[in-house]
Amino acid sequence: MNRFRLILAVMACKLAIWGSKMLGKHGSSMPGHLAFKIYPGVLKDLSAQIKREIIVVCGTNGKTTTNNLLYSFLNSSGYKVVCNRVGANMFYGVCCAFAAEANIFGKLNRDFACLEVDEASTVKVFAHIKPDKMLITNLFRDQLDRYGEIEQTAGYLKRALEQSPDTELIINADDPLVAQFGLDRERKCHYIGVDEGAVNEKDESYFCVLCGEKLDYEYRHYSQLGKYSCPSCVFKRPELDFKVKDVSQDGGLKFNLLYDGKTVPFDVNYRGFYNIYNISLSYAAATLAVGEISDYLKILAQYKPQIGRMEEFSLLKTTVLNMAKNPAGFNQALTTVLKDTKTKDILLAVNDYESDGQDISWLWDVDFELLNDSGVLNIITTGIRADELALRLKYAGVKEEKITKTSNLKVAVNLLQNGGAEVCYALANYTAVFSLYDIFKNAEKEVGANE
Amino acid sequence: MSDAKKLTICHLFPDLLDLYGDRGNILSFIKRLEWRGMDAELTEIKKDDKISLANADIVILGGGSDREQRAVCEYLSAVKTDFWSYVDDGGVMLALCGGYPMLGSYLYIAGEKLGGLGIVDMYTEQGEKRVIGNVVLESDFANGKNTVVGFENHGTKTYIKNAQPFGKVINGFGNNGEDETEGVVYKNVLGTYLHGPILPKNPHITDELIKRALIRKYGQAELEPLYDTLEDEAHSYAVNRFSKK
Repeated sequence: MNRFRLILAVMACKLAIWGSKMLGKHGSSMPGHLAFKIYPGVLKDLSAQIKREIIVVCGTNGKTTTNNLLYSFLNSSGYKVVCNRVGANMFYGVCCAFAAEANIFGKLNRDFACLEVDEASTVKVFAHIKPDKMLITNLFRDQLDRYGEIEQTAGYLKRALEQSPDTELIINADDPLVAQFGLDRERKCHYIGVDEGAVNEKDESYFCVLCGEKLDYEYRHYSQLGKYSCPSCVFKRPELDFKVKDVSQDGGLKFNLLYDGKTVPFDVNYRGFYNIYNISLSYAAATLAVGEISDYLKILAQYKPQIGRMEEFSLLKTTVLNMAKNPAGFNQALTTVLKDTKTKDILLAVNDYESDGQDISWLWDVDFELLNDSGVLNIITTGIRADELALRLKYAGVKEEKITKTSNLKVAVNLLQNGGAEVCYALANYTAVFSLYDIFKNAEKEVGANE
Repeated sequence: MSDAKKLTICHLFPDLLDLYGDRGNILSFIKRLEWRGMDAELTEIKKDDKISLANADIVILGGGSDREQRAVCEYLSAVKTDFWSYVDDGGVMLALCGGYPMLGSYLYIAGEKLGGLGIVDMYTEQGEKRVIGNVVLESDFANGKNTVVGFENHGTKTYIKNAQPFGKVINGFGNNGEDETEGVVYKNVLGTYLHGPILPKNPHITDELIKRALIRKYGQAELEPLYDTLEDEAHSYAVNRFSKK
């Protein structure tokens, strides 16, 4: 350890964070980059000071929610926790999270670290940190031009894990692409899954990761998640250590989590089936780390979702903002929106900046056909690729008179507020969500000022 | 019994080759037939199904991940003479992304050399790097617009020798980054690295393929024009934005 350079790195990072806050930035990787440049051992040295456990969260969808819930469970139980809560989940974001929490002498007085890590960054992160536990939520196709194919993403996680043989896994067993990481018998693995379900009519094929045979499903929740088995080899959904049962989605989410002979009831005002996984995974990780979480329902109720996770705004009309950046996420969001029985106007926003992915062909894999529902009144397409979205809707069978397009987000939000529906929804991909969030926050202030 | 004209679209292995929104290409064929009062039937040939092109009017071969692409290449090679007769008979075929190199004599998938279907006298080599990005072509494949827009993502280089290219690259890498060509046209076969998906934003290409399939089946084809505002706007947007290098 080079104490002098560590101190310099920590101080530079803190200064840079303060600077970018002054500039009103939503969090960036620059301060972490600076710290690493000054002292490449910054992450290794600081993370070694964690007193109890380092827990990493990966997976295509639900990382941020899962990681932040885990933080809340641990923090509310009285532990001091390092967490990259702003969603800065690449290597330098992780460096920044540690440096920001250290004092100016390079000392870190923290019990836990909860880190969401971008899958493609895991190999680099694991070279510096050996996590005690790793959670994997799911693996879906996401931003093809950045990550290539899903096998490549799985490959990153495998290579990362190879560097850290003692890392225990806590994973979504319902996802066959995730369950493959538990096949390594040397590694301790805790499986979580929803132990009931209905046959999903949608005819889609998923293939065994071991032998390539088409998987049989006893039931399927959505996409490839369900209870599966391979007809020609040994691969099947593993025995669950944490079983979700008695799921009800009327109003909020209700379910029981069964483990170690215990039954823990959940009743939360969250929307979306996917949140069952986010909640169960984070709860399982927390309870494995520190035992019973006594006021978990209160913690869940108080949890403020990150920007654009079915987040409600009080504008002229109630408006719900949700991030959706790949087919699986978008389909889940659409299904959740359509569960709302009020009439709806919907804004769809897609950008194609580098962090969104330049390749927008995934829009054609989203089930926009769902929007042919009598409860959906108007649809506004916006963002840089408003044209492509509108075209996609036309080929999904949505009547053209229902579609309005404008690449200007502010104009789109105005149109949304002045439609005829009882409630408004905005579904947007990565960079569009942040822009819409700012517009909604400002509009909320204006509405407040006029009241 | 309707006496409307009908085309059967045969989608090869949608369960294995499911990358890059190929559903948009299928929808483009189906909707544009239906909007003109014609019928469209979709046949999907899936893993372990018998491959038959007997009733096909349009065949689509798309792109998938390396492992699936390799499996499909093997399945199809076993019946390549069926493809030869289909193509010789004027059958319409659209081979996209990873499906495109399979038209040639050989190709590389993840560094491994494989024999292709040998439909077109062309071959594909392993490239030095993967090329990813938006593409604009100049193409006289169809009447009307002479531009084509799409997205490419491939690590291989294709050489079409004396065959006719699908278009000239205005921006992008194309077949090999050397001769400014993209894709290939042979009889009624169209091969291209482009997805996007390619057809919805290039409705003139869809219509040209539909026309060729109708002529083969019914001897003639007159396609009434459609109200293509959204298609044209999406097309022009991409041409304007991505033509610059």
